[in-house]
Amino acid sequence: MSEVVIENLTKKFGKTVVLDHVDLKIDAKEYFVLLGPSGSGKTTLLRLIAGLEDVTDGAIYIGEKKVNDLLPKERNVAMVFQNYALYPHLNVFDNIALPLRVRGWSKEKIKQKVRDVSETLHIQNLLEKRPKQISGGEQQRAALARALVRDPTVFLLDEPLSNLDAKLRVEARAFLKKLQKELGITTIFVTHDQAEATTMATKIAVLNRGTVTQVDDPYALYMKPNDIFTAGFVGSPAMNIVQGAVKRADSELQFSNEDLKLTLGNLTKDAERGVSMGVRPEHLTLAKKGEGLDCIVSNVEPLGSITYVTVNIGKTSFIVQLSGKLDLEAGTPAKIEFDKNNILLFGDDGKRIDSTATN
Amino acid sequence: MKKFSILVTLLLTLISLTYLFPLYWTLITALKTGSEIFSRPPIFFPSQITLSNFYSNGNIFGAVSETAIGSVPWLVDSTLIAILATLVSTFLIAAPAAYSLVRYLRSVWLGRLILFMTMIPEAVFVVPFFLMVAKMSLLNTWWGLIVVYISFTAPFSTWLLMGFFNDVPKSVEEAAQIDGLSPYQIFYRVSLRLVTPGIIAAIILNFISCWNELLYALVITYSPFPAGAQTVPLFLTSFIIIEKEFAWGGLAAAGIFTMLPTLILGVYAQRYLVRGLTMGSVKG
Repeated sequence: MSEVVIENLTKKFGKTVVLDHVDLKIDAKEYFVLLGPSGSGKTTLLRLIAGLEDVTDGAIYIGEKKVNDLLPKERNVAMVFQNYALYPHLNVFDNIALPLRVRGWSKEKIKQKVRDVSETLHIQNLLEKRPKQISGGEQQRAALARALVRDPTVFLLDEPLSNLDAKLRVEARAFLKKLQKELGITTIFVTHDQAEATTMATKIAVLNRGTVTQVDDPYALYMKPNDIFTAGFVGSPAMNIVQGAVKRADSELQFSNEDLKLTLGNLTKDAERGVSMGVRPEHLTLAKKGEGLDCIVSNVEPLGSITYVTVNIGKTSFIVQLSGKLDLEAGTPAKIEFDKNNILLFGDDGKRIDSTATN
Repeated sequence: MKKFSILVTLLLTLISLTYLFPLYWTLITALKTGSEIFSRPPIFFPSQITLSNFYSNGNIFGAVSETAIGSVPWLVDSTLIAILATLVSTFLIAAPAAYSLVRYLRSVWLGRLILFMTMIPEAVFVVPFFLMVAKMSLLNTWWGLIVVYISFTAPFSTWLLMGFFNDVPKSVEEAAQIDGLSPYQIFYRVSLRLVTPGIIAAIILNFISCWNELLYALVITYSPFPAGAQTVPLFLTSFIIIEKEFAWGGLAAAGIFTMLPTLILGVYAQRYLVRGLTMGSVKG
């Protein structure tokens, strides 16, 4: 069980910079998620830790050891691939046993160990089958078993849930989380699915275009995103982000663009730098009459316990999350209210302006 | 649509008949009596079937000369030469070469060059090969022919297998790398196993071409029987002129007999051949 430290890591493919001076510290026993859209470099980072790619610049430490020049097998990491990459010509038992066989374990010890691991993963009745003969979820467990059988110090998972159907994915999420807790192995999990990240991780690093934009626990990431990219990427449906300007009117600050004027309340002077505003759907409320800004309902999506309503103020649209069923129809006028305590402001560099949330 | 498919079926039937006719003709010739073989007009459906061309009065294949006392030594030579050449060329040369070309050199250009090599007519190299084999003192030996057959079969198998190795998912090899397999182990324990259909296709094609090869066998091992090594096609040539006469019946019977291994192989391995030649084609 070791920590993983990444120092000033840069990776280039030819002239393309895939990772740009990345620093990360992953504590021992942590369930660490690398979250980012495709092309953000998250999978490359995982492959660098595994040793499948060469480091261009910087250093990777596993435990105390610098592993830049070590072969994958010398790093004692295990990896589960997106397509599981089971050996198609071997049955599940031999798939799990192969890492031990090439390490020269005795037949008896291998049998015992494979039995133990397959019991942990509930696949003991599949050992005689070939990968093609078992379902996607079972293949995933077989791949996990193959990875875990040699007691790795770091466990790397490259979008292992993306090939499962929705129901299985939710099950696998819970299963993985529980398994990781039981085994206490440092785990690095790559995904582009923010729901996957927030439900499983103890800590999340958000990557965008080869740089880490934020490392935080899931809740902090959701409530206090460092920048406009993270704000938009984490959360579903995405945060409402509106371009505009912050101006001081009388004693209060006001956010405005051509469609709306919104009083922000008392904020520090710093807030005046804001050029965009973000507010999550659950921090908006909608009513037929009353206070708030005038808007027109354009779309209603009932999901049962909650309803998402898209409203327009001029050309600016917002998604509002409301609880329960709603008697609003598309095309009708309504009033929208903003929870002023949960409005985020971003400067023209895309960074969040800190003064907003606290006041 | 239906008209079209009838037309296609007709055309295919015609083509198949063209290919099958020589086989049929050989078969009925082998089963005809001596007079019917030479009758004019030719007889397409023999009135009487006889096995005397295969065996009669202790003579195999109607042996009329002492050089054709039986096919066993030739069969042994042919079998051993074809098997050895095929195995060495497929496993020791083509498979490792194809793998390293695909995974390490990543050169499509080199792959094409290798395919191009297979298109050069064999006759072009007769003289240089004869001289080389002679210099190695391997004339009239198995090894002389084996060396030549390896060098003729390896390029095509290499090209064929390149397509198969290309289809092996990279992540499987990477998983093996992380699991602790050395590059050699990845090749031997994982990738080679995954291209089994290609290996089988290569083995069958190589075996058939070694089995049927006449030109080099004639040049490199042609000395009066019993020589150190003579393959089945040479055995068949011994029927052509026996005292100014063509021993058609014996030749046909021996021909049928010696094509059996390739026929059986071909029928048994048809699905591998089809898969091997279509699925494993190099893209680009």
